Amino acid sequence: MVLVAAVLVAGGVIVAQFLRSAVDYYCNVDEVGVRSGCDADRRVRVQGIVERNSVNSTGGDTSFDISFNGARMSVVYDGEPGGIFKECLPVVVHGTYDAPTNTLLGDRVEVKHSDEYVAVNDERLTEADELADECTA
Amino acid sequence: MTAPTTTTSADTATRSRSTGTRATRVIGVVTVIMMGWLVAFGLGFSPADRDQDEAVRIMYVHVPTVWVAYLALSLAAVCSAVYLFSKNHSLGFDRFAGASAEIATVFMALTLVSGMLWGRITWGVYWQWDARLTSFALLLVSTIGYLAVRGLGGSHHQRAKRSAVVMLLVVLEIPLVHWSVRWWRSLHQEATVLDTDLDPDIDGLMLFSLFVGFIAFSLLYAWLVLHRTRALAMQDMLDDEGLDRALAARRAEGAPQ
Repeated sequence: MVLVAAVLVAGGVIVAQFLRSAVDYYCNVDEVGVRSGCDADRRVRVQGIVERNSVNSTGGDTSFDISFNGARMSVVYDGEPGGIFKECLPVVVHGTYDAPTNTLLGDRVEVKHSDEYVAVNDERLTEADELADECTA
Repeated sequence: MTAPTTTTSADTATRSRSTGTRATRVIGVVTVIMMGWLVAFGLGFSPADRDQDEAVRIMYVHVPTVWVAYLALSLAAVCSAVYLFSKNHSLGFDRFAGASAEIATVFMALTLVSGMLWGRITWGVYWQWDARLTSFALLLVSTIGYLAVRGLGGSHHQRAKRSAVVMLLVVLEIPLVHWSVRWWRSLHQEATVLDTDLDPDIDGLMLFSLFVGFIAFSLLYAWLVLHRTRALAMQDMLDDEGLDRALAARRAEGAPQ
């Protein structure tokens, strides 16, 4: 039993340490083309925060900018993003990256909810608006 | 709650031919009352969320059910270990482990369904193969595997021994599931209540509603596991009785006419 437990722990360490890039669900905006597993010439899932005042819907397409750690890229998505998509929330966009135009051609957008739960009321909304103003900073 | 021994389960089942006792009836009534409170707080008193709006109310089922599933599997593992390593190898612990694992499976299924509904509203998708969802699915499949092992046949003690070993392996997946959102990047958010700084970022009334949910579903688990453990004791007795009858019939066949 001790041996089995030791083997399982060792397996867990291997998975956690050496397969990180394979298990990680997404790359951050600043890691595309930089981090292992986030190569720019293949299909990627990119996580970033939707920039304020960047969302535009035209002809069935939705375009917006996402940023993370000071890096920024444009996203063109063929459709209307689902979920609770809105400005200043983190999203994960699936697609292919076009390096010359710094644009991610997305075919799926998922909204990544944080671990914060804030009640809706006027006071909180004011606070949220203040936070939203800061999201592009 | 302490795990019932063989004597307790068998006595209860034999005396009344029922799985109910005064204690389970009290737990049942309190569970119904707490479920009423959960409905009131979850659907009425607690506020909507700034980002999720009304979808946040799914959390009051999703989080308590996964908590009870972890609790049920942990208790099943403790009882499995006690069965394996104690001197008298009491089958009462085995039955409690089996009952607890069955209930854990149901609660994990509820967690999955409620999580998928929440995911569709919030993420925009029902399911993704990220670290949390995948490891949780693995835990569910492993628990179903444990139940399958229990049904392989053989004597009660053969069943108890092999399934106890499996349960001690299954329970090791719980830390993997819980910490997967910290070890790897996941679409699923990190823990809010059980975060490392013990300062949950959640509105007070939401947290209280969640607490009501923990109590309500824990009581439901206690009620279910007591009844199911006694039902399994009755099943074992029925099997033994059937075996005794078969043996007696076989002996009668061989007896001189």
